[in-house]
Amino acid sequence: MSMSLNGNRPGEDLLVVDDLVKHFPVTRGIVFQKEVASVKAVDGISFTVKQGETLGVVGESGCGKSTMARCLMRLLDPTGGRITFAGRDITHLSRTEMRPIRRELMMIFQDPYASLNQRKRVGFIVAEALQVHKIGTPAEIKRRVQELLEVVGLNPEHYNRFPHEFSGGQRQRIGVARALAVNPKLIVCDEPVSALDVSVQAQILNLLKDLQRDFGLTYVFIAHDLNVVRHISDRVMVMYLGKVAEIASKEQLYATPRHPYTGALLSAVPIPNPERGRLRRGIVLEGDVPNPINPPNACRFHPRCPRFHEGRCDVDEPPLYDFAAGHQAACHYPLERWPMTADEIGRPGAALVGNVTEAG
Amino acid sequence: MPLLEVKDLRTSFRTDDGIVKAVDGVTFSVERGKTLGIVGESGCGKSVTCLTIMGLNNRRNSTSSGEALFNGENLLEMSPRRLRDLRGNDVAMIFQDPMTSLNPVHSIGKQLVEAVMLHRDVTRKDARLRALELLKAVGIPRADRRIGDYPHQFSGGMRQRVMIAMALINEPDLLIADEPTTALDVTTQAQILKLMTTLQDEFDTAIIMITHDLGVVAEIADDVVVMYAGKVAEEGTVDEIFTRPHHPYTWGLLGSLPRIDADVERLVQIQGQPPSLLNPPRGCRFHPRCPYVMDVCKTEQPLLMPVSHQPHHLQACHLDEVTKDHEAAKLLDGTLAQVG
Repeated sequence: MSMSLNGNRPGEDLLVVDDLVKHFPVTRGIVFQKEVASVKAVDGISFTVKQGETLGVVGESGCGKSTMARCLMRLLDPTGGRITFAGRDITHLSRTEMRPIRRELMMIFQDPYASLNQRKRVGFIVAEALQVHKIGTPAEIKRRVQELLEVVGLNPEHYNRFPHEFSGGQRQRIGVARALAVNPKLIVCDEPVSALDVSVQAQILNLLKDLQRDFGLTYVFIAHDLNVVRHISDRVMVMYLGKVAEIASKEQLYATPRHPYTGALLSAVPIPNPERGRLRRGIVLEGDVPNPINPPNACRFHPRCPRFHEGRCDVDEPPLYDFAAGHQAACHYPLERWPMTADEIGRPGAALVGNVTEAG
Repeated sequence: MPLLEVKDLRTSFRTDDGIVKAVDGVTFSVERGKTLGIVGESGCGKSVTCLTIMGLNNRRNSTSSGEALFNGENLLEMSPRRLRDLRGNDVAMIFQDPMTSLNPVHSIGKQLVEAVMLHRDVTRKDARLRALELLKAVGIPRADRRIGDYPHQFSGGMRQRVMIAMALINEPDLLIADEPTTALDVTTQAQILKLMTTLQDEFDTAIIMITHDLGVVAEIADDVVVMYAGKVAEEGTVDEIFTRPHHPYTWGLLGSLPRIDADVERLVQIQGQPPSLLNPPRGCRFHPRCPYVMDVCKTEQPLLMPVSHQPHHLQACHLDEVTKDHEAAKLLDGTLAQVG
């Protein structure tokens, strides 16, 4: 078995998500459960991920990033919409039909302590996917696992150790090796470095970048840290309360954010440079993310938005307006430039009307 | 006189595997109204330093030595009764996880009132008014209605605000915050940091901020202590540490940070893991991971010495100053040259 680029060519759409919806029912009653409401965790999002690129997904906790990831992995059944992976609609495939596809679709989890089985040896953990998919003889599997451990920077001799014998960073490497075992096309990384120290975080980020270069991997990279997302992503999607607020290339998003929410996120990031930090004046968002059971009308960001216009933002839901090639944001009163002072942000120009693209 | 002066603080724990020297000779001071940031990786002893100052280590398996002079009184030799008087009154602490540090079965109002009545001779009614005042000060909307709510009815950011209200309710001189924003979203973090600095100005409180996030330190701290494996690697003002760092470990920390204000293709990696404190490396504790390691580093422990012309900027490294200036400049150019 060799680890090589498999299937699709770079630049082709590997994953197409169209109007994905996931609602969790809220029920009352013990015997006769009645649905009284629903948590609208993901409420109509669309995006594509091209072969070989990294799509970063950011947003506050509760914005639906992880639910979206779980839907992509088909660990949750979407309520609506369509997920097309490598040209095949996987939205409603059964467990058996999904099995061959799971080889190509892997996940790395946030907590390197909880995501590895404490009672199994590392060799077993990494080999499990190979065994499930019946790839190779026992000897081949063993060789492959040792090769994988080496690729992620662990000692292949540690094959027989248990997870608790490793540090947090090393465990995350085991998680990466496990995801790589079956040569996946797409790896969904759900906050893979947020539980790690900065120095270890740098090691894992460098490793993920190296692996992408060597094996042509495609990542959907979920994180709440905008510094990390900027470092690893090619394109970035900002989510707010189950919707896409803005999606753009990394350069566009960080240099010219259009959605006030993106602006607020960017100005909330602490900059490790005291002089620049002191100079910065930005938007400090008030309040918390609203309850997704009963989200605000129209633009979901309007109760917290510094550019809120009564009669517009709370009446018309903003579509994803096009700003530049590949740069879309869902805001009627987008930011004109960046950076802006809090005062300028509070005085938006004319509202957008035309130029509407029908997207999620 | 500084508000808090810590001199050669040492704490060790007896464990089944041997003695862990978690804090091994730490010296720093905090002025009234100023913020000191303590940074380092997990296990470097930053939390234990503060727990020792507060007298919160388990006395059955830990021993401490050194001095922690708070207004001239040594906290380490204080009677438990006097210490109880001090805690929550003159010195308060905020922890990382507000859910585990609030009592889930009492309303926040009750917990706040208790904090006042323990230290002040006031009626319950006055204590309640004071609690309300603080909840308003930390920006809890509809405070008069929410005072009767239980911790689980608040969001993470709101809970941390309640913790801050509780910590500040007796107007302490010193507030120790142990990773107060680590569990929060960036937007909430920005709110909490802003709140802490505003309240600091109002009450002239000194803050010790423990964090692993160098960004947070750069935003809020006046002085910084960088700890590594139970020792101070470098300390100085925030500008000294961020614009002219003098220790290879600080370079590693700064370089390993993906940052929003600069583009780097590859992050600087500090090789390996922090050492076990059961059996720390001989000589400089950072030498097994240090790219600039010399023979002297493996045998002789570097002392914390002032950098020339900067009497308050201390560093513990054998490397000569010319090389350091050169390397520090290179690191900063690498990241800062591309600032857009």
